[in-house]
Amino acid sequence: MSRELVNKCFVLAAWGAVGISCLILVSMISVITWNGLGAINLGFLFTEARNFGMSGGILYQIIGTLLIVAVAALICLPLALGTAISKSEYLKNRRMRKLCTALIYGLNGIPSVIFGVFGLIFFVNILGTGISWFVGSIILAIMILPTVVLATYQSINSIPKIYRESALTLGLNKWQVILHVVLPQGIGGSITGLLIGLARAVGETAPIMFIATAFSGVDIPGSPFEPVATLPTHILALAQQATAGQALQNAWGASLVLLTLVTLFSVTALFSRMKLRTISQR
Amino acid sequence: MISAFISTGIIFLIVGILLMNSWNAITDVGWRLFTLKWNVANEEYGILSMLYGSFMVTLCALVIALPLGLLTAIFVSEVLPGRYRFYAKSLLELLAGIPSIIYGLLGVAFLSVWIGHLFDLQSGRTILSAGILLASMILPTIITLSDDALQNVPDKYREAANGLGLTKYEVFRSALLPIAKADIIGACLLALGRALGETMAVMLVIGGIDKIPTPFFNILLPGQTITSKLGREIAETAFGSDHFSAMIFMGMILLFVVLILTFVAQHCFNPEQRLYE
Repeated sequence: MSRELVNKCFVLAAWGAVGISCLILVSMISVITWNGLGAINLGFLFTEARNFGMSGGILYQIIGTLLIVAVAALICLPLALGTAISKSEYLKNRRMRKLCTALIYGLNGIPSVIFGVFGLIFFVNILGTGISWFVGSIILAIMILPTVVLATYQSINSIPKIYRESALTLGLNKWQVILHVVLPQGIGGSITGLLIGLARAVGETAPIMFIATAFSGVDIPGSPFEPVATLPTHILALAQQATAGQALQNAWGASLVLLTLVTLFSVTALFSRMKLRTISQR
Repeated sequence: MISAFISTGIIFLIVGILLMNSWNAITDVGWRLFTLKWNVANEEYGILSMLYGSFMVTLCALVIALPLGLLTAIFVSEVLPGRYRFYAKSLLELLAGIPSIIYGLLGVAFLSVWIGHLFDLQSGRTILSAGILLASMILPTIITLSDDALQNVPDKYREAANGLGLTKYEVFRSALLPIAKADIIGACLLALGRALGETMAVMLVIGGIDKIPTPFFNILLPGQTITSKLGREIAETAFGSDHFSAMIFMGMILLFVVLILTFVAQHCFNPEQRLYE
């Protein structure tokens, strides 16, 4: 075969692959949007689910999702900041640093269902908390921890050396340097990481389905040790009875709401990352 | 400092807890864990069918997603003009963020029905449908990571190869691929790990039958993966029983496989060993 022919085949294959990929991805989004828009109206968003999700809306599911995710963010943020700062400022030993990075990457790779199983054993059975949304928050916080730590660490690492040196020349001690130089920069990075992590956490079903949620008969929880309803688990329950038309209809509505939440988080993360980049380039 | 200990300690805690809880199964059931039959009533806990299911579904997904993803990445990185690249990347990142449960819903509502009609099956919930669904889930990951890998090749190599009068394919084969290979393999390993650990979408479309289909390469029959087994059964299992413990043992195998993949992938694209900058 001539060179030109091989090249033509190659370029053609690339175009074909792009076509197929785009087709798959675009058709998915349009199907979700189309079916979802058909199901959503104000009443759907602001009423509670009735009749095992067959009728009524998803008000408590939205509240439950936001509650779990918000508390997960609050747990995760200080932990991640502390980890990133101690990794960049205190761990001087190169081997220790490598070990630390490897462990964080390892945590990042753990499949989400394993987190669910771990939560079930450790919190629900050994610590005896029962099925509670607070445990779900803790597990989600652990799950997004690596993302946040890595983002924070990167932004701390990009602080020019001269900042730190001038702060030290001014006679600040280590703690003051961390407080006034490292932290302000680190927080920007950690917020970006947190948003990316939350975009993932909002949609996770597997870690929380055994330990934090119930399908029906729940409203706004009164204590940290009660189950809540969340959007992903609601969709799961509805999808399992997919033959019933109305259930499927409501599942599409819930999916679109969930997807909107995810997109909101990731777009905010995108903007916050761009803003961060312009600051550090200044 | 304390928080650093907590964050790095969690992973040991998780592994430790899983190990502790699977100990029962290892001592009580022993080597019979690696048999074919899973029947709780007869106290038979053979996990081979689940291992097979996980392996087969992942294989299907990779066979579909790898060529598609790689070629698309080549297109985005080498053919698409630079100013559109930002939009393409943002779109891909958005797609990578679609929650897996929504993929599952799409699979239940459309894909499994289509597969059922297409091959004239009783039920469209098969290993193949799970594989296709999984392929579309890992596609964005493969595309973005391989695209990054290709972009990391300095332009001077591209220019030198173009200057020799090589065609696009030859430039890719002989200049870009050797340099970007390690990163691309790393990307594939990450995608593999992601695919192995995926639960919700697979659980909804795989059918949930703990058997290796006969003949064993028939992917148009329902099966069961480790993750879907865990997702379906663990909430209904008594804590501390052999049944529970066998499930945890399965989870632990999954965990170790994925962890090893992650470490190997990380080793593959270790940024300190870049020679070509």
